[in-house]
Amino acid sequence: MRFTRLRRLVTSRRVWLTIGLLVMLALVLLLQQRSDDSPPESFAGLGEETETFARAEPSHQLRFPDDHGPHPNYRIEWWYLTANLHDTQGEPLGIQWTLFRQALASPNDETAGDNGDSPWTTDQLWMAHAALSTPDSHWLDERFARGKPAPDQQGQAGVEAQPFAAWLDNWQLRSRAPNGDGLDALTVSARGIDDDSTFGYRLDLTAEGPLVLHGDNGFSQKTADGQGSFYYSQPFYRVEGQVEIDGEIRNVSGQAWLDREWSSQIMGPTQQGWDWFSLHLNDGHKLMAFRMRGGGDDGEDYLSGSWISPDGDVTDLANDTIELIPTEHSSVAKREIPTQWQLRLPGQDLDVTVEARNPERWMDTVFPYWEGDVTVEGSHSGVGYLEMTGY
Amino acid sequence: MSLAAYRTALLTLLSHYRRHPGQLVMLLVGLWVASALWSGVQAINASARDSYARAEALFSQQLDRIERRDGQPLRYEDFLTLRRDGAPVSPMVEGEVELADGTRLPVLGIDPLTLPEGGGLGAAQASETLLRFLRPPYRTRVAPETLATLSAEPGATPTLASGGTMPPLATDRTLPPELAVMDIAAAVVLLEASGPSHLVIAPEATLSLPDEWIRHSADNLTAPGQLTDSFHLNLTAMGLLALVVGLFIVHAALSLTLEQRLGLMRTLRALGLPGRPLVALLATELLILGLVGAMAGIASGVWLAQWLLPDVAASLQALYGERLGDELSLPWYYWAGGLTVTLGGLLTAGASSLWHAARLDILAMGRSQAWHGRFQRQLTGMAVAGGLLWLLAIGLGGWLHQLPPRAGLTLGFTMIAAALLGSALWLPPLLASLLAVLARTLRHRPLAQWAFADVNLQLPRLSVAMMALLIALSANLGVSSMVDGFRLTFLDWLDQRLVADLYLRPPADRYEAVADWLRERDGIDALLPTRDSETRLIDTPMQSTAQPVGLYGVTPHPRLRERWPLLDAISNDPWPAFQQGAVMINEQLALSSALSPGETLTLRTPQGPRAFQVAAVYADYGNPRGEVMLTTERLIERFQAPPGSIGLVLPPGRATDISALRDELSQHFGISRDSLIDQATLKQQSRTIFERTFAITRALNGLTLGVAGIALLTSLLAQAPQRRRQLAPLWAQGVSRRRLTGIGLCQLGGTALITACLAVPLGLALAWSLVAKINVAAFGWRLPLHVFPEHIATTLVLAVAVTLLAALLPAWRLWRLPPGHLLREFDAS
Repeated sequence: MRFTRLRRLVTSRRVWLTIGLLVMLALVLLLQQRSDDSPPESFAGLGEETETFARAEPSHQLRFPDDHGPHPNYRIEWWYLTANLHDTQGEPLGIQWTLFRQALASPNDETAGDNGDSPWTTDQLWMAHAALSTPDSHWLDERFARGKPAPDQQGQAGVEAQPFAAWLDNWQLRSRAPNGDGLDALTVSARGIDDDSTFGYRLDLTAEGPLVLHGDNGFSQKTADGQGSFYYSQPFYRVEGQVEIDGEIRNVSGQAWLDREWSSQIMGPTQQGWDWFSLHLNDGHKLMAFRMRGGGDDGEDYLSGSWISPDGDVTDLANDTIELIPTEHSSVAKREIPTQWQLRLPGQDLDVTVEARNPERWMDTVFPYWEGDVTVEGSHSGVGYLEMTGY
Repeated sequence: MSLAAYRTALLTLLSHYRRHPGQLVMLLVGLWVASALWSGVQAINASARDSYARAEALFSQQLDRIERRDGQPLRYEDFLTLRRDGAPVSPMVEGEVELADGTRLPVLGIDPLTLPEGGGLGAAQASETLLRFLRPPYRTRVAPETLATLSAEPGATPTLASGGTMPPLATDRTLPPELAVMDIAAAVVLLEASGPSHLVIAPEATLSLPDEWIRHSADNLTAPGQLTDSFHLNLTAMGLLALVVGLFIVHAALSLTLEQRLGLMRTLRALGLPGRPLVALLATELLILGLVGAMAGIASGVWLAQWLLPDVAASLQALYGERLGDELSLPWYYWAGGLTVTLGGLLTAGASSLWHAARLDILAMGRSQAWHGRFQRQLTGMAVAGGLLWLLAIGLGGWLHQLPPRAGLTLGFTMIAAALLGSALWLPPLLASLLAVLARTLRHRPLAQWAFADVNLQLPRLSVAMMALLIALSANLGVSSMVDGFRLTFLDWLDQRLVADLYLRPPADRYEAVADWLRERDGIDALLPTRDSETRLIDTPMQSTAQPVGLYGVTPHPRLRERWPLLDAISNDPWPAFQQGAVMINEQLALSSALSPGETLTLRTPQGPRAFQVAAVYADYGNPRGEVMLTTERLIERFQAPPGSIGLVLPPGRATDISALRDELSQHFGISRDSLIDQATLKQQSRTIFERTFAITRALNGLTLGVAGIALLTSLLAQAPQRRRQLAPLWAQGVSRRRLTGIGLCQLGGTALITACLAVPLGLALAWSLVAKINVAAFGWRLPLHVFPEHIATTLVLAVAVTLLAALLPAWRLWRLPPGHLLREFDAS
């Protein structure tokens, strides 16, 4: 295994992974629909169906706590938490907890006759991923559930805005402080099985800074021609809790980052995937940056990000203010994955190397991707998470 | 030598068949029937295996089931509570819908999103869009066979008897036949279910359940392939038998053609064709014939399989609850396998001919007496080989005796095969010595003496056909003795086992109410509730692992006690012990775990392991697995068994209006009229199942006998011209044609009778092996050996009849032939 050391800082985030996953899901469904030789039915194909969903657009005022909850008018949505932790011996650990929602039918879509109030009917597909990393190992598990557009405490999966709760089975992210902003104090828990090995975690998250709206007041543009999503984060969590690996419990602490994003828009056909960074710098700054591969002007990559000061002030990073260069590739899951990056923000005097702690962080789920903890070295140092899709 | 020369040589060799088309027909017929029966059986097996593979791949097969002990349907909240606790359970709803044309179709509702990994989500995504599956109007996924049965196109929405429609059909090759799979949301509505019928969970997932729930382990449901293996092994043995009989014909035909071409081959050799190319040419000829015969055989085999498959499917469904498509589905290896086996068999049959051709002495060739002299040596060889095979059979029998009763099915079949082949090999030496003795005894009657000597001369060819006949006759006698003996035992057992007059299976939620109502109702003497469940047997003497067993709860009413088919018991009346807590076990369990009355067995119960005394062993035909019987009360108390069916005992001599009872049940409890079944109907159903199960056995047996008949006919036809020549001098000396024909028929009839006499003890030995060894190993029950004198008589008559029928055509020809022609033929030889 190659353990190259880090060099430079970069940007971060995972939305693209998620979009990519959902896009892939949609594409798979779409392709299969085409090959399905049964006659067309009243339920519209996915392509046309987009029109019955709302479109994410700028100059839309986000409202909290309502926007912590689900947005069934939009096709896709996620609650995405990553944490960089260390145990009492100082060994670094990472966790991921993600809940995806995809609408199977828009609430405005009257064409798909439903059979009443049966709890088994579904118009939302819920998918959750949980992962735990140590420097040497990586555990992951995934779950699926059917459901109705939340809020619905009675479902196998769902999200409620106030008091905040997001869950699929016993994988839960819920508020410990029902009176305040639903995201200020959360508890996250999950247990999974990976190759006969059990893992789990239960962590208390406490926000030590404000919510951060990315892009144009929460509208984050993803392509040069204006497609985008609503996107905000809570990057200031302090974490205390326990992780468990095969019955062995370790006390851990560290920092976490929660992303909230929703949209109806699907990546353009020219985009192959994305590379997404969320970084906690030691000086208290947070950095989100992503590169959409394709979808920029003249088929170039499209880059964007947010430079977040320790007290939560956001500087929007435009396409030409970020340099993001893969400097080393690793062979993971029979793919060549860039696991070391050069990240420069000339405007912020930032020039860092971002490197995967371990290249073997492949998420071998139904829709596979790479997601893992990274270290930051160079003009700034720190830790963070990197997500890469479409490889 | 040039290629053209080889070509000429090959054509010369083949030209023999132009002069003797009968031999060509005999060869091809032998190959054809041998490979047809064999491929037919293999086609059935291959098709069944495909169905099993699909059934095993189906979600519910390798997953544990969780149900409520009281049999009530689950609620959504039950599912939710378990999921929120982290238990990876998935809901399923099972039921049956009735289509507008009266067809009943089992329906399985699943939640592809929570099905444990490897449990079918992959299939759901690959074969159809998940979206279409999950959302209205949903999809009904069925196997292609089912689509054909429904005579519907993909996308069609079959109408239900109730007036509703099913979701649009879509085909899915991975599904077993006769099953419709759909999303649980659609299935719940279609089946009018209040919730899932059960939950499934991966076997390795640990889970603590509340007391009112029960988890059934997946390995309690033995894989269908395993369960039905014995059934298919039986079929394979039948097919093999037919193949062997067919190859006998081929062997006879080959040696005949070779013998008659000795002169031809000598000429070819003298013209400069070396020995090795000659053998190569003969091998080429074999290959060509083999390909033609095998292909015809395989084609007919498929047809045969299609003809038999409905019966096979019905038997498997009845015996093991396995659904089998009634469309053949044949993988590539089936075709390759059929061809290989036929060609391999042909080469085995032809090997000795090729060997002889390779060692031909050019100078010694052409003397047919030399051939006959070799036959004398062959007889010795046959006697020795037959003896060795019998030794093998006896050795295997001894070995088999050491093995536990449920093991050694293949061994048993090998033993039978060795004994049959050994006996067949002994037949020619036996016939030859018998003829020699008779000829000596009757030396003062020249014509009789000539007749015996003549049979002796025919023996080289005739003996092979007689060997085939011997095998077919013994198999026929053995199998029909077994089947008819089983029928007697089975019908008797059915009478004992069906003690109540009426049987009712009330829905679980109305069970108590129905039982109370029946208790109050006039005209019912007693209620005999039964329940069943399952558990594991721990630490039996013979098995180290916990063995799954069925649990059966009965009410020991006097009526049941009098009639229950006990095979063995601790005392003359084991019932008091049974009522006080001892158990009874079925024969299958007694054999597989070596338990006998008086011993104790330990069962896993919800309260921990518990020991029970075995009071008796009972016959339990048709049940594929071991079963422990206890009183219904104890079954409820110890194992929390869910409600089962209720037997109703009616007062003797008083006609109870069953129809009125049905109406009342339907009126008061909404129970469908066909939930109440009377004893006669049940018996009729069981008999039908029985007959269907053995329909294939009988069919294959009859066909094998037919093959032997064909063997006889073809070998007689093939040597008829040669025979006629030898008759000419006799006719010239004043023996009338009528007399000659009569002698001919007597010769053959006598030979057949001797063969049949040998077939009788052999057939009885076979019947004994079947009931005492094969059935025990295959099904787990032992049957008494029944000897049916009428079957023995049939065997004798059949042998002579088949032979005479085969001899009739040559005899008729002889009868019709102008005597002058006979002389000319003799002159020519």
